[in-house]
Amino acid sequence: MALEENNKEQSAANSFFMLPSFVLSLIEQVLNQALKLDPSLVDKLKEVEHQRLLVEVRDWQQKIAITYANQQLHLYTAVEHADADCMISANINTLLALKNPAMLTQLIRQDKLDLQGDLNIAQRYSSAFSSLDIDWPEQLAKYVGDAPAQQLYLHLQSLQQQSKKAKSQLDSTLISLCQDELAITIHPLELVQFKQQNRALKSQVAAIEQRINALIKAL
Amino acid sequence: MNENPEKTTHFGYKTVAETEKASMVADVFHSVATKYDVMNDLMSFGIHRLWKRQTIASSGIRKGHHVLDLAGGTGDLTAKFSQLVGDTGQVVLGDINSSMLKVGREKLHNLGLVGNIDYVQMNAEALPFPDNSFDLITIAFGLRNVTDQNKALRSMYRILKPGGRLLILEFSKPEQELLSKAYDFYSFNILPTMGKLVANDSESYQYLAESIRMHPDQETLKAMMNEAGFEQTTYQNLTGGIVALHRGFKY
Repeated sequence: MALEENNKEQSAANSFFMLPSFVLSLIEQVLNQALKLDPSLVDKLKEVEHQRLLVEVRDWQQKIAITYANQQLHLYTAVEHADADCMISANINTLLALKNPAMLTQLIRQDKLDLQGDLNIAQRYSSAFSSLDIDWPEQLAKYVGDAPAQQLYLHLQSLQQQSKKAKSQLDSTLISLCQDELAITIHPLELVQFKQQNRALKSQVAAIEQRINALIKAL
Repeated sequence: MNENPEKTTHFGYKTVAETEKASMVADVFHSVATKYDVMNDLMSFGIHRLWKRQTIASSGIRKGHHVLDLAGGTGDLTAKFSQLVGDTGQVVLGDINSSMLKVGREKLHNLGLVGNIDYVQMNAEALPFPDNSFDLITIAFGLRNVTDQNKALRSMYRILKPGGRLLILEFSKPEQELLSKAYDFYSFNILPTMGKLVANDSESYQYLAESIRMHPDQETLKAMMNEAGFEQTTYQNLTGGIVALHRGFKY
C-alpha cells in the first residue's frame, strides 16, 4: 500500500516536472553529438533507419523508444502499447553490459534480458555504440590547431592515467586502513573462513536435529 | 426584436461576433509571429519543448505516415515529424495565419528540412482535404483560437484515416488549487509584462491568458471529442494540468 502511494507520488512528480522527458532530451543531445563526432556511426546505423527499438529499463520503470532517422537519434518515453520492431527489457546494469554485443545471447540465456522482435536491431545498436571511436585530437584541432590539440590530448591522457593510479593507491590504502589499522572490516580470507565454519556448523546442527527427531520417534 | 441575431463567441474575456473572431486572432498572431519562438521559451521556461516531446511520444508515428500539423505555427512538431516519416511520408504544416506559416517555412528550410513538407494556409473548421487522408493530426496550442471548436473536431475526424489518431495539446485547468492561484498570478501579471518588454505587445499576451481561461477543461474537451466521433478518447495532464494532451482515435 505504502509502495503504491510512493509510486503514485513519484509518477505525479514525474508528470509535473516531466523529468523522464527532460533527461531523455539531454541524452538525445549527447548521443546526436556523438554521431557528429564519429561519422562512422551513421553508416553503422543506416541499416536500422526508421526501425523502432523499445528499451524497458526495469529498475527505473521507464520505457524508451529509440528511432534512428535523418542521421539523428530520436529518443522518447514510450507510451503504453507502443509498437516496436524490437523490444528489450532489463535492469540498467545488464543494459550497460550490452556494450559487448557478444553478451546479448548470454544475457538472454541467463534470464537477465527479455528480447522480442528482430534481434538484429538490438545487435546493430549495441555494436555501433560499443565501437564508438571519437578522434578527440582532430575535434580539438578545429578550435586550437593541430599541435596544441595533440599536446593537450597527450596531457589529458597522462592525467587520466595518473588519476587512475592515484585512485588505485588510495583504494588500497583505504582497504589496509580499514582492515589492519582500524579493524572495522575483515579481510576477504577471514570472510571465506567464517563462511566455511558457518557451513560446518550448519551441517552439525542438521545432524543433531536428525538425531533428536530419531530419538523422539523412538520414545 | 432582431429576427436574425448575430451569433457571438468569446475572444479572451470579450464577447465578439463569430465572424470577427478569426480576424482578431489573426491580428494577434501577425503581431507575435516573429517573436513567437523566443516568447514561447521565455513564458514557459522552455517547458513547451517537453510538452511537445510528449506529444510526439504519444503519436505512434512511423515511416510513411501522412501527418497534418494543424495550427502548426513555427513548425516545432513538423520538424520532428518530417524526420520520422521519412521520404515516403508527408507532413502538412497548416495554419490559418500567413505570417506564422512564413516564419515556420523559413525556419524549417534553414534546418534543411525540405522535400516531404507542404505548407497550407487553412481554416481548421473546413479542412481542404479529402476524407480519410491522414494517419495523424496534431493541433498544439491552436484549438482554443478556433471559433467553432466542435465543427473543427468534426472536420478533423472526417479527414483522419480509420485507425488514425488526433492529438490535442492545449492549455487546460490545473489540478491543484494552489498551483491554479500561482498560475493565475503568473498569467495575468507577469506574462503581459513580459510580452510588453520582449515583443512590445502586452495585449496579445493578455489575450493569451484570457483565452486559456475560456478554453474547455479536460473533461469537457474529452466529451467534445467523443461527440465528434472519436473513440478511446483519453487525456494526460502535463505539469499539473496546466497543459493537457488529449488523444482520440477514429475507427
